[in-house]
Amino acid sequence: MTGALPAAAPRLRRQIWCVGGGKGGIGKSLLAASLGFQLARLGKRVVLVDADLGGANLHTCLGLRSPDRTLADFIQRRAERIEDVVLETGFPRLRLISGASDFLGAANIKYPQKVRVLNRIRALDVDVVLMDLGAGNSFNIVDFFLIADLGVLTVVPEPTSIENGYRFIKSALYRRLRAVAEPEAIRQLIDSALDPKNPHGIRSPLDLLARVEQEDPGAAPALRREIEGFHPIFVVNQVRDEADVAVGHQLVAACARHLGVRATFAGFVHFDDAVWRAVRRRKLFMVDAPHCRAAEQVRQLARGLSRGESLEPPW
Amino acid sequence: MVGGPQGGTHYEALGLDPRASAERVERAYRFHLELYDDAALATYSLLDIDEVRAARARVQEAYAVLSDPARRREYDVSLGVAPAGEPLLRFDSRQAARADAEPAPVHAAPRESLPEPITGAALRRFREQRGVTLREIAAVSKVGVRFLEYIEQDRHSDLPAPVYLRGFLHEYARCVGLEPHGTARAYLARIPKQG
Repeated sequence: MTGALPAAAPRLRRQIWCVGGGKGGIGKSLLAASLGFQLARLGKRVVLVDADLGGANLHTCLGLRSPDRTLADFIQRRAERIEDVVLETGFPRLRLISGASDFLGAANIKYPQKVRVLNRIRALDVDVVLMDLGAGNSFNIVDFFLIADLGVLTVVPEPTSIENGYRFIKSALYRRLRAVAEPEAIRQLIDSALDPKNPHGIRSPLDLLARVEQEDPGAAPALRREIEGFHPIFVVNQVRDEADVAVGHQLVAACARHLGVRATFAGFVHFDDAVWRAVRRRKLFMVDAPHCRAAEQVRQLARGLSRGESLEPPW
Repeated sequence: MVGGPQGGTHYEALGLDPRASAERVERAYRFHLELYDDAALATYSLLDIDEVRAARARVQEAYAVLSDPARRREYDVSLGVAPAGEPLLRFDSRQAARADAEPAPVHAAPRESLPEPITGAALRRFREQRGVTLREIAAVSKVGVRFLEYIEQDRHSDLPAPVYLRGFLHEYARCVGLEPHGTARAYLARIPKQG
């Protein structure tokens, strides 16, 4: 696996949003589905892409049965054009590319296939492409995150989720650094940094940068630029009280100080019984319980994210 | 280590701008104490015990200087963010000038406290006695008139989450001449916690 990912296409009106988070079961798919729904309601043409290959269930979140055409058909060239696997959801302006497929679960898609998928997704004639990423922090997942204009990192206020969130940030950032790093010795240093027990004692991007500056000062500026250009956006899901909300601000402060990463906190969604009641009915809570607190918070979040707004630190 | 730069200025240690008001220094300090609490979610998996301890010590060190006007002034001079050789009085007048940048109270009378529990109706009575209109509060605080009305009408379900509402209540209290922290706390205490 060599070579950088294709450079971002010229920015038109279309935006690519990603919803990731490292851990499973934290509401990424529901968040992606509900944000997509809301953006479509605001008048944008949206395609949801279920990139949770192997655990795809975005269709269920939208109340659809297992789709007959999926991303796998495009990857395996049973469908020539990506448009052929775009499904109507029944909601105006909201469409879906499903990832549901046994094939995708079993096979790790190859690099050229991934580049083809990414390029075609970029070329879709829509306003927003909203990708739901799977759990974990493998290359396949973070590569989607890295091409996004908005990289949303979902966490729930639990130690396991937050630990995975940090791991996700490091994986994504190191992947990005690796793509610009020269020479080979620096690339190897970055690869080793992913192992928390690496012999250099590198535990954060700041440590890595300090080390590179020692070993090869000429290689540092490019890496520094990449770190400065990396802006994950936190959304805290399933909050139950104010202390849970404060976690979002804490994550931003901790990222800045201890990782050197400039993250933001876009908003939060309360734990809400109306959401799981809707899930059990296989309905989207935005439709099933539009007045519930979570629905209102998703509407706020969609508005804030589209305007590039984030919550101010509490001081 | 992950600890990051233990150096940096005292302002950076608390995530502050060198022009931050004393109140802001206080809030940032409290936030960072929580951030580096042994049980804090955001640092638990990121830092080990020694790093948390070091980070906490750094926060204390910064706060000790920035919360003391004389020490802060001396520090500002050493940083070059304040000119040397001026009397301490200058610091105070700068503080006053700074207050202009932040929403100025509509009502400059000394801050009072209402008896608890504080209802929206009690707030309205107090405001009307002071002759302050909601429109004036909205102009100064940038909190919409609609929300100010909801506060006075105790329409809690129409109000935003407590984390925002607290800020609105602070602004309201400041504008009518009530003590902000106690007022916000007493008002919020009456709102039933939702699941």
